[in-house]
Parts: sequence; C-alpha cells; structure tokens
Amino acid sequence: MSTIIQTIVVLGIVAVALVYVLRRVVKTMRSKGGDCGCGCGKDCQCKNKPGKEF
Amino acid sequence: MKSEQDKAKIVTRLLDDEPVGQTVQVVRVMGDGAFRQRLLEMGFVRGAKVTVLKNAPLQDPVEYMILGAHISLRHSEAAQVEVTDKEALFCDLEDNFNGIVETEVAGVDPMADNVLRVVLIGNPNCGKTSLFNNVTGAKEKVGNYGGVTVDSKEGWFNIDGRRVQLVDLPGTYSLTEYSPEEMYVRTYIRDNHPDAILNIVDAGNLERNLYLTTQVMDMNIPMVIALNMWDELEKSGDHLDIEMMSRLLGARMVPLTAYNGRGVKEVLQATMQTIDESEKETMHHNVNYGTLIEDCLKELGGMCPTLDRYTVLKVIENDQHAIELLNSQPNAGQVKKTAADMRQRIERDYNEDIVSIITDLKYGFVRGALAEALTPNPDRATGETKPGYSMDRLLTNRWLALPILLVLMWLMFEATFTLGAYPQEWIESGIGWLGEWIGSVMPDGILKDLIVDGIIGGVGGVLVFLPQILILFFFISLLEDSGYMARAAFIVDRIMHRVGLHGKSFIPYLIGFGCGVPAIMATRTLENRRDRLVTILTVPFMSCSARLPAYLLLVAAFFTANQGLILMSIYLIGILVAAITAIIMSKTFLKHDKTQFVMELPPYRKPTARNATIHMWSKGKQYLQKMATIILAASIIVWALGYFPRHEGQTPQEQIENSYMGQMGKAIEPVVEPLGFNWQMGVSVLTGAAAKEIVVSTMGVLYTGEADATEESASLKEKLQTATKPDGTHVFDPIVAYSFMLFILLYFPCIAALAAIKREAGTKWMIFEIFYTTGVAWLISFLFYQVARMF
Repeated sequence: MSTIIQTIVVLGIVAVALVYVLRRVVKTMRSKGGDCGCGCGKDCQCKNKPGKEF
Repeated sequence: MKSEQDKAKIVTRLLDDEPVGQTVQVVRVMGDGAFRQRLLEMGFVRGAKVTVLKNAPLQDPVEYMILGAHISLRHSEAAQVEVTDKEALFCDLEDNFNGIVETEVAGVDPMADNVLRVVLIGNPNCGKTSLFNNVTGAKEKVGNYGGVTVDSKEGWFNIDGRRVQLVDLPGTYSLTEYSPEEMYVRTYIRDNHPDAILNIVDAGNLERNLYLTTQVMDMNIPMVIALNMWDELEKSGDHLDIEMMSRLLGARMVPLTAYNGRGVKEVLQATMQTIDESEKETMHHNVNYGTLIEDCLKELGGMCPTLDRYTVLKVIENDQHAIELLNSQPNAGQVKKTAADMRQRIERDYNEDIVSIITDLKYGFVRGALAEALTPNPDRATGETKPGYSMDRLLTNRWLALPILLVLMWLMFEATFTLGAYPQEWIESGIGWLGEWIGSVMPDGILKDLIVDGIIGGVGGVLVFLPQILILFFFISLLEDSGYMARAAFIVDRIMHRVGLHGKSFIPYLIGFGCGVPAIMATRTLENRRDRLVTILTVPFMSCSARLPAYLLLVAAFFTANQGLILMSIYLIGILVAAITAIIMSKTFLKHDKTQFVMELPPYRKPTARNATIHMWSKGKQYLQKMATIILAASIIVWALGYFPRHEGQTPQEQIENSYMGQMGKAIEPVVEPLGFNWQMGVSVLTGAAAKEIVVSTMGVLYTGEADATEESASLKEKLQTATKPDGTHVFDPIVAYSFMLFILLYFPCIAALAAIKREAGTKWMIFEIFYTTGVAWLISFLFYQVARMF
C-alpha cells in the first residue's frame, strides 16, 4: 500500500474515532436517563428486549 | 380498643433505655412525619414485641428484633419509641382481626391497551429483581440489602403464545406518601393500570411483608402473591397452610424460590389465570376495619364513586396526594369536610391518631390471618432469633467486627493482586506476541504504527487488567449476596452519622465502588434534597472500577511488598475524603437537620456460585464492550495527536515531544509538575476525563511510541519502570506513583458521571463538582508529594 493511501486510511479511522467519541459525549450529556450511561452504551430501558419463553 | 383507665395504669419507658436482651411491648411511636410512619410500617405498632439484640461496635446504632426481622435504630431514634413490659395490660394485635369484607369489582378487558402488563411489588430485598431477571432474562443488579432498584425496569416474557410486559418497581414497606420510592410505586400503579400485581412476599417474614399486601388488597387490582424464599420457610420448620391463607386474602399464593428458578412457571401461570378471571365481574377481598371505619368507607365511597377503596381510606387518613385526587370531584369540598368529621370521630373513639389506628388494624388483620394459617416450628423458643442470623455473633461482635471488616477488605484486594497476576501475565504475553507478529508481517508505515502503537498499545494496556476486575467483582458479589454489606453499614453507621450523612447514603456509596452513574441515581431514595446533594457530590470519591487498571499498573510496577494494603489505602483515602467533604458541606452551605433512618439487617444467605459468576461475567462484558468502543476510539485519537505533525530526522522521543499531544502536555506541565508528574502523566489525566480507563490506554500509547526498537516488546509496566527524564533520572518512583494514584482517585468524575450529576442535581452542581474534585485532587497530591519528598 502506498504511503498516500495508508495516510488516507489512517486519517479516515482517526476521523471516525473522533466523531464516535464526540457523539458519545454529546449523547451522554443530553441523556434523560434512558441510557444509564454506565458504559455499556445500551438503552437499559429498551422496550424491544426479546422475551423469555415459558 | 382499650379503656382509658387501663391506659393510665401503663408505666412506659423509652426503647433506648432498655438493656440488651430485654423484650418489651410497644406502646406508641412519638413524633410525626416520615420516620414515625416508617417505624409503624415496620411493625412498631401498639402491642408488638421488640427484643434488644445488641449495640453496634461503636455503640450506635442498636439492633432490635421485631416481627422476626432485625432492624437497626440509632439511639436518638429508639428514644422516640415508648415501651412497656406489662404485657397483660395490652390487648393483643390479633384482637384487631375482623376478617374480610368483599367488594364487587367490574370485569375489565385485559387487552384494552394491547399490552398485558404485570407489575412486581414487594418489600425491599424480598427478591423482586431476582424474579424479574429470571423471568425476562435481564441482568439487573441484585443484592442482599434493600434499595438496589430505584426506578422501574421493564422486561418481557412470553407464555402460552401471549406476550406480557413485566415491570420491576422499587421495594417499599407500604404505599404511603412519605418517601420517594413509595410515592413512585403508588403513582406508577395508579397511572399505568396494570392488569395484575405480582406481589413478592418473603415467606420467612410474612407478618411484616403482608402489611403491604393489605394496602394492595384495597386497590382492587387483581393480585397474585409469590411466597419467595419458600425453601427458607421449609428449613425453618414453620408450616403455612397456603390454601387457607389464599382464601383469606382472596388472592392466589404460589411458593417460589426465585434465586434458583423453582416455582417461576407456576407463579406466571397463576398470574395469567388471575388476569383471565378479571375479565368477569369478581368479588374482591378487602381488610375489614371494623364497623365504625367500614361505615365511614361506605358513606364516603358513595359520595365519590370513581375513587377506589384505597384512595377513600387515604382521604380519611388525610393523605395529601389522595386529597389532590379528590379535587377533581365536583363535590370535593363536601367530601373533605365529611372525611375530616369522620377522622375526628374515629380518633376520638380509638383515642389514637388515624395513621396508628389504620396501621394497627392492618397488622391486626395480618396477625389474625397468620394465627389461622401459619404453624410456627414448635421446637423454636419464643423470641429466639430465626436461622440466618447466627453469624452475627462473630461478624458484628463488639470487639471483632471492625478488625474482621478490615481483614475482609484486605483479603479481597490481596487476592485481586495475587490471583490476578497469573492470567494477567498470559494476556500480557499474548498482546506482546500479537504486537511483534503484526510488526513483523506488516511493512513499515503509518498504518502499522497505528495498529501496533495506537490500538495494541492503548487497548492492550487496559485489557491486561481484565482478570483483576473479574476477581474483585467476584468478591464484591459474594459480600453483597451473603448479606454482609448491610452489616458493614451497621458497623460504620455511627461514623456516617457523625459526618452528617444519611444512613441511606451507604447504598449509593456501595454501588459507587462499581460505577458512579448508578450510584448517583441510587440517591433518589433520599427524601431530603440536601442529603441527596451531599451524597451525589461525594459519591465520585468512591473509587469506581474504571480507575482500577491505573492503580493495578502503578502498584504492580512500583511497590514490591504489601500490594494489597497499598491498593486498600487508596480506597480508604477516597472514603476519608468523602467523609471530610460531607462534614464540610453539611456544616456550611448544605446545612440541615439529620434525617432519621431505619435499616433492616437481612438474614445471611449462602452466596451462589451462579450469581457471583453472572455478576462477574456481566462486569467483564461491560469492560470488554468499553475496550471495543470508547477506549479503542480514544486510543486512536491519542495516538494521532502523539504522531502528528511528522518531522523528518527526529528521534521517536523528539517526535512525540513535538507532536500536538506533546505541545498540549508541555502547556499543562507547569500545573502538574508540583505533583511530581511529567507531561505524559498530565496528558493521561486529561484524556481520562472521558473514561478513567483511558488514563492507562493513553500511557500505553505514549510510552509505546516513545520506546525504541529493543523495548517494543516490553510490557507497559516495564516501560514505566525504565522511563527516564532528560537528565537521566527515573520518571517514576513509589512517591510519584502514589501521588499519581491519589490524583486519579480524586479528580474530575468521568463524562458519564457528570451527566448523571447534571440530571440529578443540575448544571450548577455539575460545574461545582468539576472544580471541587479537581481542586481537592491537586491539593492532596501536592501535599503528599511535597511532604513525602522531605523524608
């Protein structure tokens, strides 16, 4: 892989990481408590959880 | 009812004056408001027998036994209870048993809103969440102490082709208006109209648990009673005639052992049968409160036919939330006046206040029903402690309790180190091998640098501590499930009281050792806003699991002996700083009267390997998820900031110093230098603001990037041990490492914790917390480093 392509790939990965972190921070700060924010990144009050069969 | 002459003869004393071992009868609870109400609900009603069991090691609080349950009361609180030892002067509670009255309840269509909804209610620590997890497959936190669930959790299950929503509500002793969790449960039931209530009752403590049942009975909602911990009842030798009890309460009763899933299917089937029957008009059983009160209920119920029996009774009790509901009625004024007249008449007749009368009557009903259906083990002497408390002789012993608490903590931290060291080495070698292999197969270039230095160096640096995290949470889970944590609260309660903290604050603190976010949410159970604020603002000083990798790395690298003790000292300093902060706050800008608190001591239970493993696995999964998301992303960003801009002909050391990260680090170096930190450490604490594990991943990236070719395969620990300053001296020594750990312990809570503080306390307090915690961290690290350097 040429240096230029490698640089583009790496910068792309860094940009994605940056956007992810920023979105995560903004989402956490705006959270109304639906996402418990414990780090699992999931909505702990999710209404679509599959049910167990009895 | 008692005659005035009889009452005059009773010589009363205060419960606080009773010696250990004494059994007395309750005459009345003095005072008013939430504390009095809570004591009444827990069984401190006229005629109830109380035994003084023991003083806590620090002499306060005191452990009492009432209705078979063990309750912890502070001396000042016990002084609110009037007692007597003249048993014969009292009518027995069973005298209040008037049986039931039946009310016609119209049939409802369970699928009217297209959702079948069942709510779980019950006393704190009766096993609601264990059942909820078992039925829905959820993994909500459970513990052998009350107050773990603070709001509703929803899950689903499918039975006989039908999909049902199950809602786990916080544990409550009753449905009064005095505490946030009680109001929450009451409002939830009123606003959401569940198709059935699944009432979880601790079969080993029926008398106290069925008090809540008497309130639910008045709500006229279809109910099923699950007799949880049925195995403990069987072991105790007591016998319950389920059929008779079920007939008396007018609800299906099903034995259940939620922790191992025995009886779960039967409970769900009984719930579905009850829902199906509610489609037809049914006769609902209510507690019979005697002619006078029943007449009042009938008359007032006739004046406002849209209100249920529970609300009408609450109106007579002058419950403000019930009266607010009444305001929507066209004849509200007339109803209020009639209710006030009735209240006066009842109080005059019984010579008691209305709340005590109703509580006495409810307990009378429960005791009367149990007298008919429950046969106690004939071999157990009256007043003898039930099984499950025998370990208290040792674990809350006056002289041994505190040393045992400290030894248990030390054992936990020591085991985390020693047992975790072996798997840690294997993971470390695996990561080292992966880095070397990728380094050898990939051509040199920016992409290889990102993968080896950024991703493997950053994520790998944190990943190696997974075994220790798992071991620590395994031990915490054992302590929680056994019931020892509630004893720890009992042992240290006097200290909590002295520093101005509410007894209930203990639960958020405990949860805070895992994660600050649910801990801050757990403060919702505190009634007083100032109590809540003090607890919210001090919870971040409890060292959460995210900070653990940094301690483990530094302790392992710079302390060769007593590693468990060093780690424990960090946790203890966190607790100490929280205590000092609480004293300052509660004596200055968050000054308030101390709120009273009644705590129940649950019986000891054998922790199961299954529960401990589930808890450990769920923590491990959370940790790995964080590795694959926020830690990975942060490591990539940190690497990029340390890699760019590129300068030709520079050594790796010069390159990183001239990078964006290096420039940032150099800018903040003057601030962190007095603490003994170099710029890399300064940058690490800065990036750690997003999540505390990032402190270690940042160091992993920065020190990997700095290393020359021969050092690349060395672990981060070894790199820190050999890191040198430009003058050739070592960057780290034990003093610098400890100062760094102190800073990590105390500074800036992570973004998620700050968001929780903002939600629960407001933006102003969130900003205050940022500056306060960071200021305290800087000051303590500075003092430690400067003083330690003198010796």
